[in-house]
Amino acid sequence: MSNYYNMPKLPTENSPKVEIFVDDKPVMVPGDTNLLEALKAVGIETPHVCYHPFLPVSGNCRQCLVEQEGPRGRMLVIACYTPVAPGMKIYTPASSARVKNARRATQEFMLVNHPLDCPICDKAGECTLQENYMEAGQNESRMRPEYGKNYHGNPAHQFIDAKGQLRGGKHVDLGPRVLLDEERCVQCDRCVRFMRSIAGSEQLQLAGRADHTYITTFPGEKLDHEYDLCVTDVCPVGAMTAKYFRFQKRVWLLSHTPTVSMDDSLGANIWLDHADGRIYRVMPRCNPEVNRSWLSNTSRLAFQNFGKNRLPFMGFHVIQNLVSGVKAEGGKIALAAGGTCTIEDLAALRMLKDSLGDSAELFGGTFKKVGSPDGIAMSGDPMANRAGFKLMGVPENNLADLTKRAGEFKLLLTVNLDIFGEDASQASALEKIQNRVVLSAFNDETAAHGTLSCGVRHWSEVQGTMVNSLNILQKLNACPVCPDEKIRPAYEILSELAGCMFESAADAFKHAGKYAAALSGLSYDTIKSTGKLLEGGEA
Amino acid sequence: MREHIQGAVQFVSNNRLKFDRPAQPIEALPDPGQTFGYVNKAVPQPSPKEVLAKLDTPEIKERCADLLSRYPVGQGALLEVLWLVQGVFGWVPTEGIRWAANVCGCAPAHALGVATFYTMYNHAPKGKFLLQFCRNISCTIKGAPSLIAYVEKALNIKTGETTPDGLFTILQVECLGSCGNGPMMLVNDDFATDVEGDQLVMKPGTTLTTDSIDRILKWCYAHEDNMPKHDVLGGIVKGHSGHPGAPGAKAKPQVADYAPPSPVLNVKAEADDAGATLTWKGAPEFTKLVVEKKNGSKWAAVGEPGVKDKSFLDANGKVGDVYRMIATSGERTAKPSKEATATQKPAPAEEAK
Amino acid sequence: MAECVKVCTANFGKGAQDIEVYKKLGGYANISEKLFNMSQFELIDYVQRSNLRGRGGAGFPTGMKWSFVPRNSGKPVYIVVNADEGEGGTFKDHFLMLEDPHRLIEGLIIAGWALGSRAAYIYCRGEFLPCIESINKALNQAYAAGYLGENIMGTKFCFDIFVHRGAGAYICGEETALINSLEGQKGQPRLKPPFPAVSGAWKSPTCVNNVETIMALPWILSHEPEEYARMGTPRAGGTKVFCISGDVKNPGVYEAPLGTPMMTMINDYAGGVVGGKLKAVLPGGSSCAPLTAEEAAVATMDYECLASMKTMFGSGAMIVINDTHNMVDLLNCLGNFYSHESCGQCTPCREGTGLLHRMLNLIVAGKGHDGDVELMQSLCGGFGGVTICPLSISLGGPVSSYTAKFRADFDEYIAKNPDHAKPRVQETYRPGIFW
Repeated sequence: MSNYYNMPKLPTENSPKVEIFVDDKPVMVPGDTNLLEALKAVGIETPHVCYHPFLPVSGNCRQCLVEQEGPRGRMLVIACYTPVAPGMKIYTPASSARVKNARRATQEFMLVNHPLDCPICDKAGECTLQENYMEAGQNESRMRPEYGKNYHGNPAHQFIDAKGQLRGGKHVDLGPRVLLDEERCVQCDRCVRFMRSIAGSEQLQLAGRADHTYITTFPGEKLDHEYDLCVTDVCPVGAMTAKYFRFQKRVWLLSHTPTVSMDDSLGANIWLDHADGRIYRVMPRCNPEVNRSWLSNTSRLAFQNFGKNRLPFMGFHVIQNLVSGVKAEGGKIALAAGGTCTIEDLAALRMLKDSLGDSAELFGGTFKKVGSPDGIAMSGDPMANRAGFKLMGVPENNLADLTKRAGEFKLLLTVNLDIFGEDASQASALEKIQNRVVLSAFNDETAAHGTLSCGVRHWSEVQGTMVNSLNILQKLNACPVCPDEKIRPAYEILSELAGCMFESAADAFKHAGKYAAALSGLSYDTIKSTGKLLEGGEA
Repeated sequence: MREHIQGAVQFVSNNRLKFDRPAQPIEALPDPGQTFGYVNKAVPQPSPKEVLAKLDTPEIKERCADLLSRYPVGQGALLEVLWLVQGVFGWVPTEGIRWAANVCGCAPAHALGVATFYTMYNHAPKGKFLLQFCRNISCTIKGAPSLIAYVEKALNIKTGETTPDGLFTILQVECLGSCGNGPMMLVNDDFATDVEGDQLVMKPGTTLTTDSIDRILKWCYAHEDNMPKHDVLGGIVKGHSGHPGAPGAKAKPQVADYAPPSPVLNVKAEADDAGATLTWKGAPEFTKLVVEKKNGSKWAAVGEPGVKDKSFLDANGKVGDVYRMIATSGERTAKPSKEATATQKPAPAEEAK
Repeated sequence: MAECVKVCTANFGKGAQDIEVYKKLGGYANISEKLFNMSQFELIDYVQRSNLRGRGGAGFPTGMKWSFVPRNSGKPVYIVVNADEGEGGTFKDHFLMLEDPHRLIEGLIIAGWALGSRAAYIYCRGEFLPCIESINKALNQAYAAGYLGENIMGTKFCFDIFVHRGAGAYICGEETALINSLEGQKGQPRLKPPFPAVSGAWKSPTCVNNVETIMALPWILSHEPEEYARMGTPRAGGTKVFCISGDVKNPGVYEAPLGTPMMTMINDYAGGVVGGKLKAVLPGGSSCAPLTAEEAAVATMDYECLASMKTMFGSGAMIVINDTHNMVDLLNCLGNFYSHESCGQCTPCREGTGLLHRMLNLIVAGKGHDGDVELMQSLCGGFGGVTICPLSISLGGPVSSYTAKFRADFDEYIAKNPDHAKPRVQETYRPGIFW
């Protein structure tokens, strides 16, 4: 398994199309990829366990077999390692009994030593083995109980159960976030490859050999890495489970909302899996351009605080009266936006500024430290929508200016900006401003320092768009987990303050086009789930 | 409704009764690891300090430097460095694996995977004399199972166990590569079928018998204190200059022109009315080819075929002409090929009518 | 039996481990102008003409293998000697290395010259420590005599040989697994392509050759290649070192021309079957299909004849079995062996060999059932051609052929179980168990 594996080449929109023959029927497929991806592109799903589009190919599960016509007759080959060649002849189970039988045999072997504990397995419902079994498996076991099972397990964790069966470790503590069930492991070595090739830290390894192979860390060491929860995603079975999600919810009861993580300016694509009005887990959503299939622990576990410490809603007219009062006095107004503001929030903010005229000034930015990209799923920039700020003409790095000139202003309105929480010593200058209106999702430090604090929706609960550090316009979707239905998105409040309330995020996005030429031709509904690369977003 | 619930409760309690039975193996599964004695239960591990104290010696450092100089990537020496650890301790402690990983510059988990993949690394202390019996097909045909049973009885231990005095451990292993002398055993690192003059020997035509096993065991008891010690890597080779580019290696890459340039091989000439046709076998490195014809005692060039060409036609050639070819590879010109005298080309087979 | 030219075993028992003795016996004569005047291309062509085929088991023509190695690729070329001899019944390399290490070194220098290699590795299995000692001693002598190292014999050619001690894994005999092991990784076969000749050890062109293949080179170079080719069959030249083990009078290593009748090998070379009548012969190591006594009577020991009999020549390791043995016991040995030596990479092999081994163990323990044999045959059908390397077929093939040819042996064992006709009961899980 420790070979020089090749990363699979994935088809793109620009892939050249070549003609191959699948079950004697000519089809046009992407020509620069492997057979498995090519067949997928024309709608033929090939079952696979060890293959993962963003991991090096190891070809050890032998589940994706197809037949290929070669110089020595029809041979079984694995689709994940066979490159597409023009004119090649492929036979799938649809026409070849041999392929069907081979896949079924592999499936049977895979289940020989696999426990039947699906009812208590967290992966049940999204398990690759279950899917493959329903497709290619046989419906009745041919084994006798006498043959027994040879569960994979570390000798140190093995035990003998009441039936006299030697069992593997059922809940091995791999590290602070991941638990291992050795019995369920099918030795696909995806986690090993992930840790070695993607995370760059070879902490997991398959020890032993033959059917005594088991996954382990080095004795005495723990699996601890910023991306270690990704191994629970890549695990095709329930061997690697995340401690935070263990026994929390059956996966088929979860609803999924596709959105974008606003923890980081890369804007990792995520699924918010929710039920009963709360989020249960965050899963990476595949986007080859952005975060592939990976998600950092920081972004993944952030959801645990989404519902906590929320700022309650406050009547709109209080804010309106205050703002119009200051405006009537002729006092200067500072409008400061934080990094999690969406394009729609910024459009509303621009509109508010226009309506207030010269007395208002825009500010934006963060006091948090900006790091460097890690090459996996983090850009290191905590200001998620920085590119969107630039695009919308909102300053994205002048908070220091605001604190320096705090004395000039009569009113400060912050939107999703925890300026006191980020740097209290610098922000203390803002206390000179008489009126401090805070629009924030959380009852944070800034809300505590505000004279008027109003709850708004968190980014996980709003429709919207953001532009990530790669200049890709990405869409956020609202997950129905807002603790109070009365809480409104920030752009609604801001646009109402400006005197022209946006009916919806699509409406707001249309208005955003007025401020940013790059967005003017687009409509909210036509943005794909993987986003749209903007040209000239810097302008 | 109530009955239904009661039934269910009973059902649960029944199950619980079943699971409360004391755990005991009813019938141990025939597990290959166990039959070979390779199941390694957790053993007390020496502390990192103890391990380092034994491994940080000048000799071992020198050996490691020598090993690392042999491979382009340090990881190549991992198996050999693990052998050194086993040579010091008689087994590979966990900290020894970590030490080996550090020496070779790879991740400790990787080294663990390697150390557990290969079965000759012991993960627990073994007896002073490790008796490994082959149980593969040839030795089984010649009666290995009964011999193993004999030894187990003689030493009163089972496969995988160590005698209480710490002298002997019995293991069953796969083919030892001495099937002609089967049944075969290894005493530590020595193949043994018998004892001859205070030495373990394996001679063609001799096999292990119960008598010879008795003699070997007796030899072991006699050599308890002066055990013949083998170097774990079979001795040190002096004089090599290592792998080019490896740390501590003096070697330089092979020069391209160490061998003479390739001549053209297998030159054949056949002539008919159209002229003489030459065929030959060309090397991929040829950059230029010249065909020469003998003119009296002198050679005259008649053409330059392309390096990828398979044949060359000399329109003026006729039967009896003598040709040779000269190849150039890069800047070097090879010696001329063997002379080829044109022969009459056989008439092409007439097309079937 | 006809007198045969000894190509590889000529120096057996003559003390050729010492370089002086070896030189007196004609050794290292090739490491002279004879070799130094040859270009790489000429030497490869020379070996191609000799019709030498790889002696490790697959029988691939050696010269052709060498010609695949790209020259001037800018990367070093490695020669790796496969001395990881672990197949049941094979023990020729053990004695070749033990008795005549200098011939291996001489052959390696010739191969190094042909491929432009700078470093060669002898991957020797861990159990062969005496062989490694013998080679290391010979290497020291060869370095001292100037046959190895920098500028050999005053030429520009530099060549080093290193011995790599394996640590107990049969699968490292597969060439890509061997390369992985050489790189300090687990010995697990790699996906192909790329083939090692193009991208092998450390992503460089690598030629993996068997010990016997390399040891044939000195003889070939000091004679004419056609002379070597004439000794064998039309498609495979030369002599072969056969290993005969099992129920014969004189088991051991014998060198004979390819194409020798099987019964000549058993009766004339090895002194005939002992302990009973001939029951079966495994002609090419433990992983090949057995030949019954009738088939053995007409078989000849070469690649083509044995392939036509649906078995294989392999490494020429004959295991002779007499009629006192039950084939189930022997198949159980193979079950032990292959389930223990599976590298654990491919699912069918990892789980399948273990399952077959458990089933065979039950049959041998007198707990077999009717239908077990059919199930085993069916399971072996799932091995065919689906794994990275042929180890799964090495067990699947014997299971299929043993059960087909010696079914009575299996039935005899299964009949020992009083409940052998009991139908299979599907284990059911009561719904209450998860309450």
